[in-house]
Amino acid sequence: MSNTVIGSVMIVGGGIGGIQAALDLANSGYLVYMVEKTASIGGVMSQLDKTFPTNDCSMCIMSPKLVEVGRHMNIKLITLAEIKDVRGEKGNFEVDIFQKARYIDMDKCIACGACTEKCPKKVDDVYNQKLIKRKAIYVPYPQAVPLKYAIDSENCIKLTKGKCGTCEKTCPAKAINYNDKDKNFSINSGSIILSPGFKTYDPSGKLTYSYDNNPDVVTSIEFERLLSASGPNKGHIVRLSDYAEPKKIAWLQCVGSRDINTCDNGHCSSVCCMYAIKQAIIAKEHEPNLECTIFYMDIRTHGKGFENCYNQAKDKYGIKFIRSRVHSVFDQSGNKKGQVINYVDEVTGKCVSDTYDIVVLSVGMEISPDIKLLAQKLGIELTHGSFCKTNSFDPVATTREGIYVCGAFQGPKDIPQSVIEAGAAALCAGSILAEGRNTLTELKEMPVERNISGERPRVGVFICHCGINISSVIDVKDVGDYAKTLPYVEYVADNLYSCSQDTQDNITKVIQEKSLNRIIVAACSPRTHEPLFQETLLNASLNKYMFEMVNIRNHGSWVHKDYPEKATQKAKDLVRMAVEKVVLFEPLEEAKLEIDQNALVIGGGISGMTAAKALADQGYKVNLIEREAILGGNANNLYITAKGEVIKKELDKLINEVKSSKNINVFTGAELIKVEGFVGNFSTTILQGDLEKNVKHGIAIIATGAYEYKPEEYLYGKYPRVFTGIELDKKFISNDPFLKDVKTAVFIQCVGSREPQRPYCSRICCTHTMISALHLKELNPDMNIFVLYRDIRTYGEKEYLYKEAREKGVIFIRFSSDNKPKITVNEYGLEIEVIDHILQKPVKIKADILSLASAIVPYRDEKLAQFFKVPLNDEGFFAEAHVKLAPSDFAVDGVFLCGLSHYPKPIDESVAQSKAAASSATRLLARKTINTIGTVAQVNPVLCSSCGICVSICPYNAPSFKTSGHFADKAEINPVLCKGCGACVASCRSGALTLKGFSESQLMAMISSTCL
Amino acid sequence: MNGAIYVGKKEKNTFMDKVKKILPKGSNLNLCLTCGACSSGCPATGLENMDPRKFLRMVSMGLDQEIEMHPWVWMCSNCQRCIYACPMKINIPGLVYEARKLWPRDKRPKGILGSCDMALRNESSSAMGTAEEDFKFVVEDVLNEVRENQPGWENLEAPVDKQGAYFFLSQNSREPVTEPDEMVPLWKILHIVGADWTYSTKGWGGENYCMFLADDENWKKIAKRTLDSAKDLGCKVYLNTECGHSTFSVWMGQKKFKIETDLEIAPMVKYYAKWIREGKLKVNSDWNKDIKVKFTVQDPCNQIRKSFGDPLAEDLRFVVKSVVGEENFIDMIPNRLNNYCCGGGGGALQSGYKEQRFQYGRLKNEQIINTGAQYVITPCHNCHAQIHELSEHNKGNYHSVHLWTIIALSLEILAENERAYLGPDLVEVNLPN
Repeated sequence: MSNTVIGSVMIVGGGIGGIQAALDLANSGYLVYMVEKTASIGGVMSQLDKTFPTNDCSMCIMSPKLVEVGRHMNIKLITLAEIKDVRGEKGNFEVDIFQKARYIDMDKCIACGACTEKCPKKVDDVYNQKLIKRKAIYVPYPQAVPLKYAIDSENCIKLTKGKCGTCEKTCPAKAINYNDKDKNFSINSGSIILSPGFKTYDPSGKLTYSYDNNPDVVTSIEFERLLSASGPNKGHIVRLSDYAEPKKIAWLQCVGSRDINTCDNGHCSSVCCMYAIKQAIIAKEHEPNLECTIFYMDIRTHGKGFENCYNQAKDKYGIKFIRSRVHSVFDQSGNKKGQVINYVDEVTGKCVSDTYDIVVLSVGMEISPDIKLLAQKLGIELTHGSFCKTNSFDPVATTREGIYVCGAFQGPKDIPQSVIEAGAAALCAGSILAEGRNTLTELKEMPVERNISGERPRVGVFICHCGINISSVIDVKDVGDYAKTLPYVEYVADNLYSCSQDTQDNITKVIQEKSLNRIIVAACSPRTHEPLFQETLLNASLNKYMFEMVNIRNHGSWVHKDYPEKATQKAKDLVRMAVEKVVLFEPLEEAKLEIDQNALVIGGGISGMTAAKALADQGYKVNLIEREAILGGNANNLYITAKGEVIKKELDKLINEVKSSKNINVFTGAELIKVEGFVGNFSTTILQGDLEKNVKHGIAIIATGAYEYKPEEYLYGKYPRVFTGIELDKKFISNDPFLKDVKTAVFIQCVGSREPQRPYCSRICCTHTMISALHLKELNPDMNIFVLYRDIRTYGEKEYLYKEAREKGVIFIRFSSDNKPKITVNEYGLEIEVIDHILQKPVKIKADILSLASAIVPYRDEKLAQFFKVPLNDEGFFAEAHVKLAPSDFAVDGVFLCGLSHYPKPIDESVAQSKAAASSATRLLARKTINTIGTVAQVNPVLCSSCGICVSICPYNAPSFKTSGHFADKAEINPVLCKGCGACVASCRSGALTLKGFSESQLMAMISSTCL
Repeated sequence: MNGAIYVGKKEKNTFMDKVKKILPKGSNLNLCLTCGACSSGCPATGLENMDPRKFLRMVSMGLDQEIEMHPWVWMCSNCQRCIYACPMKINIPGLVYEARKLWPRDKRPKGILGSCDMALRNESSSAMGTAEEDFKFVVEDVLNEVRENQPGWENLEAPVDKQGAYFFLSQNSREPVTEPDEMVPLWKILHIVGADWTYSTKGWGGENYCMFLADDENWKKIAKRTLDSAKDLGCKVYLNTECGHSTFSVWMGQKKFKIETDLEIAPMVKYYAKWIREGKLKVNSDWNKDIKVKFTVQDPCNQIRKSFGDPLAEDLRFVVKSVVGEENFIDMIPNRLNNYCCGGGGGALQSGYKEQRFQYGRLKNEQIINTGAQYVITPCHNCHAQIHELSEHNKGNYHSVHLWTIIALSLEILAENERAYLGPDLVEVNLPN
């Protein structure tokens, strides 16, 4: 074998994790092979309805990424395929792949759908969780990528019985090939990322859930489909047994999770509490009179913004939360509808019986047997719960070098955490192939922009059905017919999903064939979809600013669903306004910027150091700023991780690596005092002691951390044997001999968290308490330990620690926020009184020590936020660009975030996010240059009165006074800094400012067209 | 608030520690998540202001004094429905069983205590104290009566102490002592299929109230006696007449006390099903085609959930459907492994807490009423008696019958005097010629 490093990465699994990793790598100079088991990529996220907390439709925020993967020239999709074996080692693996026959020539298929229409064979629709039927020749869903049909060979009449052949006769493209064969082949790649995802727990055969024969008991993933407008009942929630509208719905939590009796899933699936709350809220939004009840053991809303959502569910939406695992669900006898649920009211101790129209089983995540087998074949170790085994300090590396992991296979997790790990895995997989970077990739040659100057406006209007999201309310055909009557409109079409890959190809074709020079898409929100269509314009040789998006969904069909005629009229008005505007459009130019190849990392804790090292290892120079005199941050005072690694040991190693790296320049005891510039060209002044130093950098990563809350409650600071979790860790580190003599220890959870003044959950305290309690039990197995808690939130496989703690005799007592433990000190020492949640009696504990699981508090660093123009949320954490899909990026280009400054998280998640932030930074740095936006403000210096309002009002420092030359003292706009917000334009009293793409004439034309 | 619980600097609680040592793997008692699945599915929840979760919690918190002599331990029927759904598979019935032992033996419920002691009086093991020779006399007497009075049954047999018989059959005392005619349908069935079977004098009594009494030593003694008796006779299969706790006490006793035996310990219903499948028992449901009498079935906890599981539940339904017609069978909801205990188990029929027993049975009564069936087939003596009483207590108008009665009815071999539990609608149906 040659020693050449191959510049390609194989990604196994095309869910959101795999997609994110693929895009990161393909945009950083690596060729990506994406092996997907089904006929198209998208994974479970493509099946979800709306996503928390933005209430964006899951598919809508995902489809631009699907299309980007689909048309990326450095991502090769291998669908209907699985990997069978891997030989070789990091840098050069040989991967055996088995690919099932598709029976469709993908080059010929035009995805017209004629085959499906005529196919006589109906089969269960897997995308819709088998709730309805599809045909044996199919695409999984309309926005699928690749948008190519496939034949389900097990069900096709022709392939099983030799008869039929209808699709072959019907296909106008001659794409059907019944003689297609399954294939085995091998591909070489330098590294591998496993992102095969999870399967949901199957409650079939369990008498307690009555799932088998009862259509009104559904799994949560089935319920997602029922909620979805593209689902079996078009988003109208009904009881499947008789299609009646439900009045009461119950969710049962922990079905197939935290259960070692009826199944073997001891772990917590991490996501079910939050999705159940989300589903209940959406169901309530569909039908405000609906009664929603969630039966739970512990509510685990430990993610960013989750607790707030939980509180809203209770207070604003009136969703009922009942703490009881339900023994059984069963239908009522005879013809009576509804499922009976009995539960015990925890306060009264009485058994209550109630009936529900629909019962949703909140099914957990598990790893499918074939992935377990593959892991065995590949020599990858798994955990107790059959997830991929990783180390807290290298959370995306499997036990086989060169093979990485992300997403649910690494452990149960939600979308943001999967996306974070995808970034981390991409960084790791790419870093080891640094010398192979750009060796296998092709550069996309953009078509030369057509010069349209002097052309008469020729407008193309594309109107979207958005499945039924728009067309169920708005008469799309009518809007189209109307558009045809408008001046300059040369072409009108309507599409089922305008964002799908085939529509993009079609728009490109039409622009060229009809010589269109202005495009309007009447569909959804430009926030999510404008870049997608602009890219399509570029592909068609058109300036991307000759485009206007009309939002007839969010502003039309969704808000006016009860007034279809008026909504249709409004859509027409909006289209007419857009036409009036676009005819006045002119091509805009974007400035090209060099990107400074140096980085700045702020914060020298584990997160900052990991990010700095990740960049330094790739050859980028990094300045690392730490406010304290030493590196290490909170980790200096932490004992062991949830996986048992000794933190000090790993921390020292990391500090050494950082200090000895020739690419990292460490500033301890330092702070930033000035930041100027913008993406690619920052200029920052660092104050270290009395010395000021200016550094230039192209990107910045914020990893400023958070600190432990110093409690004011529970006698903290007033009695020496009351201390915080970190203070207890310090005693563990120093091996304080006094601990061995402790006979009784008490922990109180949620100290300073989940309180009105600090409503979020600090995420790590429950796990930390388990680790500490177990360590105390190790020091003295006879120690009495009590944990007083509100909900135990040992999410994922951390649940095993909770189990171990109970096993070893730790007693857990649940209290509510309005009845907290009371602490007194008497001659015997501490006495803690709490009401036992089961016995409803006071329990008085004589304790030697009391450890408070204290909140994690953000620094609320407004100065830093101001420096980089990045937002803080209400709680004082930095606010990322997109909660789900861009959790380590800021909306401001060139600035990234990770670690506790984003949200409380354990070390493994901090490390993953640091690498994800580094990956995003790498993607940007690797481009060397970037374009700014074209829709920027422009000064007409002749009209400028040099009043300075624009200079003072701009939040981005874009306007300034020209200091010399022609028109000195007049305002000018730095187009690189301008974000196109228009604040200066609106405030200019001389009318000297214009915003390109939003000129006065364009806006006035729109307004006059509505006033006609 | 008074009655605070003091924990912390004090002795380890003793009962919890003791039980953890006794039960296998400590019975996971520590693992409780206090989730309430057990209590939400337990018919004894609320009786004496107690429920399974609360009981375990009290033990965990060291409230030994409150647990000691708590009457609820006699209201829990040890049906194990709590274990079935518990995410941690915690053996609360095992804990309750141990808590029964906290009662001094002579303070335990008189009915159970008396029945246990009665079985120890002689070698018969009969909870009614019937001696070996008396049992033999009754069997022979009833047999002779059938041979004389029922044409066609001149060759009927009811062997006692037959050396080398294939099946050993133990007999619940209730029939020979109080309703001897009820033994006959089963004899007839065994005769028709040509089964080679025998009763014994030693250890003939199938019931085991010492198990309910939580008297391990004597549970073992009785189980061992009957198994040894079967072994001494050279039998291959140990059968009990349709009785849940009897079968369980021997099946579980053999495991728990590691009694050596080569015998197959089997429930009767399994063999009914086998014989029907083999064509030896030519039952049919023609008799019910027009009258359409509806039947439901009670899955005895001791035989289904606690021991033989789904295969037996399936057999039971197969037999019932074969004899009453599929269209005339209505299952209770929930059923099989997840069925509710009727409230007659665990010694409840003899424990003296009658009011509580009826309260326990309210779910069962509702379940039965909801099926609309007129008959509940109860292949278990305790279920039979409890459901019979529930019907009377709640004026439910349903009947509780053994399976042998309906099989014999279907075969046209059920004599007039063997129809004590049939209602007027069936009392004359399919009488033998």
